[in-house]
Amino acid sequence: MTRPLRRDHLRIWIVMAIAMLLIFAASIMERRDTTPRNTGIDWSQTK
Amino acid sequence: MSVQYTAVSWNRQKRIYDSIIASGAVLYLGAFIGVGAIVHPNATIETLVIRAFGTGAILLLNIILAIGPLARLDRRFLPLLYNRRHLGVTMFGMALVHGAFSIVQFHALSDVNPFVSLFVSNTRFTSVANFPFQAIGFAALLILFVMAATSHDFWLNNLTAPVWKRIHMLVYLAYALLVAHVSLGALQSETNPLLAITLFTGFATVTALHISTGVRERRLDVQKHRAEQDGFVDIGQVDAIPEKRAIVVALGAERVAVFRYEGKVSAISNVCRHQGGPLGEGRIIDGCVTCPWHGYQYLPECGAAPPPFTEKVPTFRTQVVGGRVLVHPQPYAPGTFVEPARTAILAGSTMR
Repeated sequence: MTRPLRRDHLRIWIVMAIAMLLIFAASIMERRDTTPRNTGIDWSQTK
Repeated sequence: MSVQYTAVSWNRQKRIYDSIIASGAVLYLGAFIGVGAIVHPNATIETLVIRAFGTGAILLLNIILAIGPLARLDRRFLPLLYNRRHLGVTMFGMALVHGAFSIVQFHALSDVNPFVSLFVSNTRFTSVANFPFQAIGFAALLILFVMAATSHDFWLNNLTAPVWKRIHMLVYLAYALLVAHVSLGALQSETNPLLAITLFTGFATVTALHISTGVRERRLDVQKHRAEQDGFVDIGQVDAIPEKRAIVVALGAERVAVFRYEGKVSAISNVCRHQGGPLGEGRIIDGCVTCPWHGYQYLPECGAAPPPFTEKVPTFRTQVVGGRVLVHPQPYAPGTFVEPARTAILAGSTMR
């Protein structure tokens, strides 16, 4: 690669490292609860 | 290098490479769907196909993005780089199946056009947990389509290497979009920590590889070399250059590859005309400097590809004085013949 491409490449990956880490951390922290189990129904009854 | 275009110039290595890709993809998809059907007996085949192709695509993209920096760190990874574009097209194919099945599964049954539904059915852009992640995946798929469609050397040659390279650097944006697509999508409803661990390990590894090699390359670019008389720059001992190989130095605006071969020393630009590959990391085969990425060749004395090929790279004047190699940083026009410096007259030089 040429020098400008190498320079841009390094900058892109530094920005991406921060962005991907933020998105991943936010998505883990803000995870919605999965649908709670309905204790009144046993799934096998629906078969 | 090529004087005419053919769809694919098949050779033994390409056949082996593609057979391994196809076998790996079939094995992965088969295993994922098979194990998935046993572990999740209530899952439909459509769901298993969506998951298998989606995870396969992002796994393959991790491998593709790791190949570049790994090949710089260790030459044994270079064979993987040779046909990396075939891996990329395979990955796009898997992502396309994932996307197509998802659109049919989740959007085809409404009275709205599935592609319209993809963008209007969820507009909760302010919610992390309910973010419209499918639109992000679609954007990534469009980028991957452009890359797969322009992957052939026909486009590389017509768009020119710098433009083509810039377009194909969009894969980094596609990768970030896919990490967001999985984080804001599948990760939100998946209770098994395996997906989160795998996703994090993948992007942390790929990012670390790219940044560490980028920092290493930058160190080489900012290296200062002592200028000698007449503007020549001392780049080190001639014996430090292995026979039929080169050392790479940053002189002026770009890197220079200084080759030693048959008692001679020649210097040419380090940038291959094909895809900007590092010529100085290649070696001299059949009298020609051979790019380690795709095998493009140049004569070391003039930087021109042997006939009938037409690629040319800039050349540089060289001298060998007292066992040390001197290179003038001013490049000659691509393809200009420069008399190689002789190492044979050196006292104490080791000829091999």
